[in-house]
Amino acid sequence: MANPVTAMEALQKELDRLNRRPGLSATVDKVDQIIEMLIAAKDEIVKSGMDKYVASASVTKLQNPIKAKFEQINDDLKGVVATQRKLGKSLDKHFPVKDLPSEHDAMADQEPLINRAIAMHLLREGQFSVASTFIEETGDAATLDPVNTVIEGQEDQVSADDEYDDEPMDEDRDNDDEDDEGNDEDEYMSPLEAVTGSGLQQLKTLSSLQSHELEAKFSQMYSILQDIKSRNLLSAIEWARSNSVELEARGSNLEFELSKLQYVWLFKGPSVNGLPDDERNGTAGALLYAQQNFWRFGNRYTGEIQQLANAQIYACNLAESPYRHIFSTETAFADVASSFTREFCSLLGLSAQSPLYIAVTAGALALPLLIKYQQAARAKGTEWTTTNELAFETPLPEKMLYHSIFVCPVSKEQTTEQNPPMMIPCGHVLAKETLQRLLKGTRFKCPYCPAEGLEKDARRIMI
Amino acid sequence: MADHEASKINHDNHLLLASRLFTYSDQPLLRLPYELLRKNFRTAHFTVEKDSTNFTKLLRETATASIDSKISPENVVQNLDTMLTRMRALKRKLSTYADEETRLYKQLDARVAHLRELSDMHSVDDVKYEAWSRKRLDRLLVDYMLRHNYNTSAQALANEREMHDLVDVETFLAMSKIKQSLQNGSVSEALVWCSNNKKELRKLQSNLEFLLRCQEYVELLRLNTPEKSIEAIAHAKKWLAPFQEQYPFTVREMAALLAHRPTDKDLPPKYAAWYSADRWDKLARAFVDAHNELLGLPTFPLLHTALSSGLSALKTPACHGTQTTTSSSQPGHSQTSMTTSVCPICSIELNELAKNVPYAHHSKSHLDNDLLLLPNGRVYGQAKLDEYAAKAGLADDKVKDLVTGEIYSRASLKKVFA
Repeated sequence: MANPVTAMEALQKELDRLNRRPGLSATVDKVDQIIEMLIAAKDEIVKSGMDKYVASASVTKLQNPIKAKFEQINDDLKGVVATQRKLGKSLDKHFPVKDLPSEHDAMADQEPLINRAIAMHLLREGQFSVASTFIEETGDAATLDPVNTVIEGQEDQVSADDEYDDEPMDEDRDNDDEDDEGNDEDEYMSPLEAVTGSGLQQLKTLSSLQSHELEAKFSQMYSILQDIKSRNLLSAIEWARSNSVELEARGSNLEFELSKLQYVWLFKGPSVNGLPDDERNGTAGALLYAQQNFWRFGNRYTGEIQQLANAQIYACNLAESPYRHIFSTETAFADVASSFTREFCSLLGLSAQSPLYIAVTAGALALPLLIKYQQAARAKGTEWTTTNELAFETPLPEKMLYHSIFVCPVSKEQTTEQNPPMMIPCGHVLAKETLQRLLKGTRFKCPYCPAEGLEKDARRIMI
Repeated sequence: MADHEASKINHDNHLLLASRLFTYSDQPLLRLPYELLRKNFRTAHFTVEKDSTNFTKLLRETATASIDSKISPENVVQNLDTMLTRMRALKRKLSTYADEETRLYKQLDARVAHLRELSDMHSVDDVKYEAWSRKRLDRLLVDYMLRHNYNTSAQALANEREMHDLVDVETFLAMSKIKQSLQNGSVSEALVWCSNNKKELRKLQSNLEFLLRCQEYVELLRLNTPEKSIEAIAHAKKWLAPFQEQYPFTVREMAALLAHRPTDKDLPPKYAAWYSADRWDKLARAFVDAHNELLGLPTFPLLHTALSSGLSALKTPACHGTQTTTSSSQPGHSQTSMTTSVCPICSIELNELAKNVPYAHHSKSHLDNDLLLLPNGRVYGQAKLDEYAAKAGLADDKVKDLVTGEIYSRASLKKVFA
């Protein structure tokens, strides 16, 4: 499909044409007319007192008009068929049926994990009622699912065997492995898992109990966001203050940003902020607010606080003062709202935007390339194999790159934990495997500059 | 960081991708209502043709007989009443089809409009793209829920998002009814569906009807009485024999089944399999496959397709690593607001799910500008170090590690050429 715009226009045209055609409702009308003719004929016969001649005349003269009606109906319908066919052709031309990658469904066995991701997505989007319906429905399905029952049955079998087994050595070893895995999971426990319980089993399902806690968190987030939207920062400031230790550890200055905006908002006075015109509002109110609250920040933001205070002098002609940029609130509320969302989610161990949304969007962007690659692979007769790394590039917009990527300039390979980036004394960076290939004994020459180095002077770096 | 030239190519690429998107992932979006529209129309057309032939015949006969004085005026009126009843029945049927037609037109209009929104955008950076993409996600979620029988949730989400015309609730609910009836051990609903789609199923060379007829036969034998066995033989003659050529092996097996009682202790496994309870699950699956193939629906939810390609495209070696990289945002590891937002693959919603998919292939580095090496081996862009130092209120000659929080003097930093 070369041009989506013209394709959509062509399709729209056919659809409009089809819409203009008298469809089945017109046929219903015509059948109605036939019914009326029948009733009229019947009435005529009854009115005549069941006269023999009237009866035969009435039915005879019904024949032609009814036949004509049916012919009209048929013509209508045939016309629609033709137009439908055109729409079909247009669909074939502009939206040819192409095979989706269907050789294997990597997600087929992941239903519990997908369900959990969906439930969390619905909760974070504030779709609380849909989320609880979904959690309930998937919970029921999980208990009814024959596959799960089978697995449970097998586990019972194993434990029953254990009891009678004289040498349960193998089982013991298995259990040890499982324990180790469990420990690994614990290491990655996030704040959210601490809230919602941890462990592999809980990871896979989201019980209603956990979801209630999440729901409570997210409804708090939405109510605060609603307040910010209506220019009320107090609930957000209160939240930031009660989490100030965690926020400061993250290097976030959300609390200060919020307080600063509150100062600015009060400063603007009742004509702008619509708050009561009293001593807690206006320039005086802002100053009062600053005196009561800014001490918390110590000397972390001395410069900015000075600017805010200095602005008092320019209160009458702020627009021409050097401080006008601080006092423009056009995007300020939207800005603090988005940094609030980010910090709130981060403290829960969640990304600010729904991961499911990002993954599906990225997936839609990468899909055409995946299909193209698969077609090429099939044409060449090579098998589609699942390795650690995709065999082709799937470029995404800049904002969808969350980690730094280092590709070794020599081997063109991405660095990994097994093949980490190494910085050599001249400051250039190579993948470890590349460096080993360059080694002559213990020495190597930098591929980018005349410098030489010793293997022991190369150091692993973390990018 | 990518230079200008590269980012421009990238941008064009995205433009192209966005525009080509719906040829793939949104394929069934227009196909399905179109196919349903045609099907609905064909059925209506067939009904009209059949009824009108019968009707005109009766009218003609009545008229001729009346002229020839073979029937009384009372009979004429009686026949007129019969015709009226038939026409009213036809009208009722046609009204149902007309309503369905209206619904499908509405769907097609809404879907074309939805896709036009996308075709009018010029890049994924378009502000409207996010809203569109969210709508797409909601569509895929409803589709996923319907395919997994989470029907209440699917309807709740469709209602909440007011997107009934963009999802196929009716189609899947009808399907799920038939599927459930099979799981409950009843073939009749599925057989009705087969006869309504006879032509198409024949074109697909589907063996669904045959399998259902076999099951009917097996159920008669299961009762294990002489009368039922005779009934089974009659059933086989009528319904299984016509498939002799197509499925000779199975038909022979069916015949052989007569020689065994379902209660036989040493029933060979291949015969026992026909009596097994999981036959019903298999039939349900066979029905779902035939249904989806017939309507051009993908075999598994598009959400799966989009997710597995998306998880891979986003995944990096760092996402499941054991060591924190400097751009790491793994939950549980110390992190700061400077290490940007949590990566969706590292976020606990998807981390486990992404474990088994390959990570993305990159042929170019994506790094910050002016990289500096801290004495602890960690590398950051200068701008980020400056910003974090300012936020932390450090003295001018100090920087702070964004992840570990260690403080170093600027003199101890080294330039990195990556």
